[in-house]
Amino acid sequence: MKILVCVSIVPDTTSKITLDSSNTRINSEGLTFIAGPYDDYALSRAIEIKDQTQAELVVLHVGLADSEAIIRKCLALGADSAVRIDTAAVDSYQVAQEIIQFAKSQSFDLIMMGKEAIDYNAGIVHALVAHGLGFNHFSPVMHLDVDNDKLTLEIETDSGKSKISSTLPAVLGCQEPIAEWKIPSMRGIMTARTKEIQVIAPSFSPKENPVKANVVETERLQKMIPVEEAESLIDMLKSENLI
Amino acid sequence: MKNIAVFIDIKNGQIAESSLRALEFASAWSNQQGFDGVIVYGFEKTQLEALNALNSIKEYVQIEVPGLVQNSQVLAVLLSHIQEKGISQILYVKSLLMDSVAAYLSGALAFPLISNVKELEKVSNGNRFTKSIFSGKANLVTEVAGDNFIAAFSKSFSSNLALPSGNSSPSLSSISLPLNSQSTIVENYPLTGSIPLPDAAVVVGGGRGLKDPSNWVMVEDLAKELGAATACSKPVSDLNWRPHHEHVGQTGVKIAPKLYIACGISGAIQHLAGVNGSRKIVVINNDPEAPFFKHADYGIVGDVFDVLPRLLNKLKSH
Ligand SMILES: Cc1cc2nc3c(=O)[nH]c(=O)nc-3n(C[C@H](O)[C@H](O)[C@H](O)COP(=O)(O)OP(=O)(O)OC[C@H]3O[C@@H](n4cnc5c(N)ncnc54)[C@H](O)[C@@H]3O)c2cc1C
Ligand SMILES: Nc1ncnc2c1ncn2[C@@H]1O[C@H](COP(=O)(O)O)[C@@H](O)[C@H]1O
Repeated sequence: MKILVCVSIVPDTTSKITLDSSNTRINSEGLTFIAGPYDDYALSRAIEIKDQTQAELVVLHVGLADSEAIIRKCLALGADSAVRIDTAAVDSYQVAQEIIQFAKSQSFDLIMMGKEAIDYNAGIVHALVAHGLGFNHFSPVMHLDVDNDKLTLEIETDSGKSKISSTLPAVLGCQEPIAEWKIPSMRGIMTARTKEIQVIAPSFSPKENPVKANVVETERLQKMIPVEEAESLIDMLKSENLI
Repeated sequence: MKNIAVFIDIKNGQIAESSLRALEFASAWSNQQGFDGVIVYGFEKTQLEALNALNSIKEYVQIEVPGLVQNSQVLAVLLSHIQEKGISQILYVKSLLMDSVAAYLSGALAFPLISNVKELEKVSNGNRFTKSIFSGKANLVTEVAGDNFIAAFSKSFSSNLALPSGNSSPSLSSISLPLNSQSTIVENYPLTGSIPLPDAAVVVGGGRGLKDPSNWVMVEDLAKELGAATACSKPVSDLNWRPHHEHVGQTGVKIAPKLYIACGISGAIQHLAGVNGSRKIVVINNDPEAPFFKHADYGIVGDVFDVLPRLLNKLKSH
């Protein structure tokens, strides 16, 4: 079996978002970048499946060279090899087209992604890739078992949860509690140093042209109610028609 | 023939409020942009009155699906229907099912799919989309050339167009998609009894400050009295005190209710990322230094075990 995990690289979840001088982009100065937390869940489960089934595990990132340290960490966690498509990822449609083209050149059985990249929160790259390849698509997947070409999944739906039985090939968007995040071992870190990150030239250009951005400041009243008068909260909420 | 398609969410026969807003927008947009009209698609039967009240609605197409939708072969029938109808723009409000359907259509029609759209505007050589990014922390305006696209509206979508007057008398039709031969539902676990979190107007959330799952009675009682949904912080669902689908935040559900009441939650940035779309936030925490107070409209420094029962009593005495 051959598994592909697609990893977005995003500002750390604690980041305070500011804009750069062009006002069309988020200011990346001073931000720490990480592999998307959901992508990390996908990778963690993929590593477990690899360990059970001796699958081959490839990690793919669409992005520029400054992400190499994070890709190396994915290798240290247990991916066999990595591919980077060398272009700035601007929109989901573009990213999906690159992934589809790459996946067509190989024969992956299972493609795992996060349910969404936490920067732009589009949540659609997995769906675009699945349908582009004619694979089954599920997201967000909370449990996954693979038995030969049979998949048992638990997914969230618009009205609850469902247990699903499906076949490979498939593309999955993952979320917790599919697996626990993993920490690379010393041995993993050492072997990752010699693993190859293949760099591929891009084939598609973005459709979306960013023209401006703004940071949303939600003004909060910050009105404190003394605890002795806690009950007055109810009257206040009522008078504002909030309850 | 140049039409707009709107996919709507229907719950218990009723069109979801956010879908109605999308329909109102589509009706106005169709008029303004000189489209022939709007074709409405949905996965359930619905009352047509809501559609009759809007201008430019030509047809309601009910899509019958015997099984799971998320498969290219299943969706091919829908694609031909859309092509026959001469549809050049597709609008919907984000949902798990529709994201998959729209992604399929996007690839097959080569229409770019723009996600989390809050506003849509025509510009000279294409269209301009205001997207919500970083879990609502920022907005990004992007332009896409040409007039073919699929827009996935975020729930906080707003229309700046005036609703055109006039009614429609849409025709009713249906299409049946084939059975998915590769995937089947083994079991469904519907959310029963409780109010679904993503759509709730009022939400009461509990954090690790509640100390023990048995104490959630307090949160549930308050929620019940308010007709609210319950939510929790991530550690609470990690500890299995509460079901995973109740966890809000960066890695959980993103909510945008009228009112969010956070009890015993510190207000970590990852938690805020899921709740900062709330119109008003109330924070109850016994630590005056809790970061959440900086992001609250109303704060009470106090013990949840004292304050929650008192709030409940007060509500009940009304
Ligand atoms: C990548 C990543 C993603 C994450 N995603 C999320 C997410 O999506 N959602 C999320 O919630 N968290 C998320 N977290 C975790 C987040 O950082 C915090 O750890 C978490 O939100 C804290 O939960 P809490 O407020 O319930 O617990 P704590 O931080 O332990 O806070 C408990 C609070 O309760 C108060 N308290 C204690 N006793 C009482 C009492 N008797 N009465 C009143 N108040 C009391 C305390 O003063 C304290 O402020 C994420 C973390 C990471 C690293
Ligand atoms: N630039 C990228 N490179 C590789 N994978 C990506 C990239 N962007 C998004 N993905 C994957 O697609 C998933 C959904 O992303 P999105 O649709 O952008 O929210 C993410 O969780 C990643 O697994």
